[in-house]
Amino acid sequence: MRIGNCSGFYGDRLSAMREMLEGGPLDVLTGDYLAELTMLILGRDRMKDPSLGYAKTFVRQAEDCLGIALEKGVRLVANAGGLNPAGLASRIREVATGLGLSAAVAHVEGDDLMPRASSLGLGDALTANAYLGGFGIAAALSGGADVVVTGRVTDASLVVGPCVWRFGWGRSSYDELAGAVVAGHVIECGTQATGGNFSGFLSLPRDAQPLGFPLVEMATDGSSVVTKHDGTGGLVSVDTVTAQLMYEVQGPSYLNPDVSVDLTSVQLADDGPDRVRVSGVRGSEPPASLKVCVNELGGFRNQMEFVLTGLDVDEKAAWLRAQLEQRLDPRPAVVEWTMSRHPALDATSEEAASCLLRCTVKDPKPEPVGRAFSGAGVELALASYPGFTLTAPPAKESPYGIYRPAYVPRDEVEEVVVLDDGRREVVS
Amino acid sequence: MTTPLGTFVHARSGDKGGDANVGLWVAQGPHRDERVAWLLSIVTPSWVRSMVPEAGDLDVDVFALPNLGGVNVVLHGLLGEGVAASTRFDPQAKALGEWLRSRHVDIPSELL
Repeated sequence: MRIGNCSGFYGDRLSAMREMLEGGPLDVLTGDYLAELTMLILGRDRMKDPSLGYAKTFVRQAEDCLGIALEKGVRLVANAGGLNPAGLASRIREVATGLGLSAAVAHVEGDDLMPRASSLGLGDALTANAYLGGFGIAAALSGGADVVVTGRVTDASLVVGPCVWRFGWGRSSYDELAGAVVAGHVIECGTQATGGNFSGFLSLPRDAQPLGFPLVEMATDGSSVVTKHDGTGGLVSVDTVTAQLMYEVQGPSYLNPDVSVDLTSVQLADDGPDRVRVSGVRGSEPPASLKVCVNELGGFRNQMEFVLTGLDVDEKAAWLRAQLEQRLDPRPAVVEWTMSRHPALDATSEEAASCLLRCTVKDPKPEPVGRAFSGAGVELALASYPGFTLTAPPAKESPYGIYRPAYVPRDEVEEVVVLDDGRREVVS
Repeated sequence: MTTPLGTFVHARSGDKGGDANVGLWVAQGPHRDERVAWLLSIVTPSWVRSMVPEAGDLDVDVFALPNLGGVNVVLHGLLGEGVAASTRFDPQAKALGEWLRSRHVDIPSELL
């Protein structure tokens, strides 16, 4: 079974869905749209309009590509539902109807714990979503879905789900599930598996051709080959795959809701040009609790960057600091100053003769870091060090969120698949 | 001989909440087994703290992944309260790995 990826984050290359559908054969095309920070961004969208809270770019991609996907029989599986998978599913049905297409759209829900956040001890959260596994996606595909949208499943679950559906693995097929988690982790960040953000970039062509998105050829035993469509840019090598395997892991055991993966068991081998075989992966029972992505409002922040040029840079910085800090009333809870480097001596360009002094402020309340801060900085424009200039106009404060992981017992979370006809199935 | 770590070591770094993580591994190439043994032997929490002075007071974990020819390093709390709150220059630690690769280290000349 060939499973591709066309998105590593909310904002990734919009044309990737079409490129992956047209570039070669696939059975399933997945996309990851949710980072920790994305849940916060979607939470703010949902506050403004309760019908939103999903990744809007997926709707645009579906408008462009749903017809090709249906024609080629490629299932679309994405966590683009974010905080509102039901809303995204109905939006995709509208898209299908508008295009005169008949598509079965299902969604997975149950990850959103906000309604019970306080009883679960999750505090005063803006968003609280349990990371779900792949069995809900598998149930949706078994129920005939052409498109499956989910909320907060783990990134790797987007590959685990289709494998469970196709290969009929059980809950205790740990080695197989672990193989799929590793394959899913390798492709979840899109072009980070094919030469993007890669220390070995000097070995790439480095021309203007965009990097191709990755795909995995999955076998019944959970082993896989990582590759990409022929003729696309970039590279799949043992090193590009290692880079992604090493990314965002927190130790030798990679925990997922369906299986704990022993990363020390993963074997990679060259399998020809742009092909890497992944085998030997061992898995064991998953953790008893589910991880929860909690975002809270942390407070408000603002920043100014002052350009310091030429001679006596330290004295210029010190004077500005003294002047600005004296004017911050009330003083923000956090005031941080950083200066990256000293300018070059006797520089032959003004930029090389300059450096940036950055002041970042944070506070639980908006006022101390709003115009009270940036206005105070601007008012020094003609009244401070020689050559005073800023890299940006004075800004208002912006709210910031704080992510923290939390854990809840599995039986507190009811994972539900809602099929195209509205039938609801609890995933066991 | 003193030379950048990135001479044959690759890296990728990122964030999980307030923690930064970085994978360091030996690129495919000559002397790979010897280079991997050397890398696994030098990367310890105290080595990481010396290379990343701002982590001097932080808990650092180093996990060996010999099957992948490298180590996974977690720097707890390097990013404060996480990407949206961090005042750090690179709040998601995206370039931490490339910084580490540019640090100069003593590498036995037979590995070069």
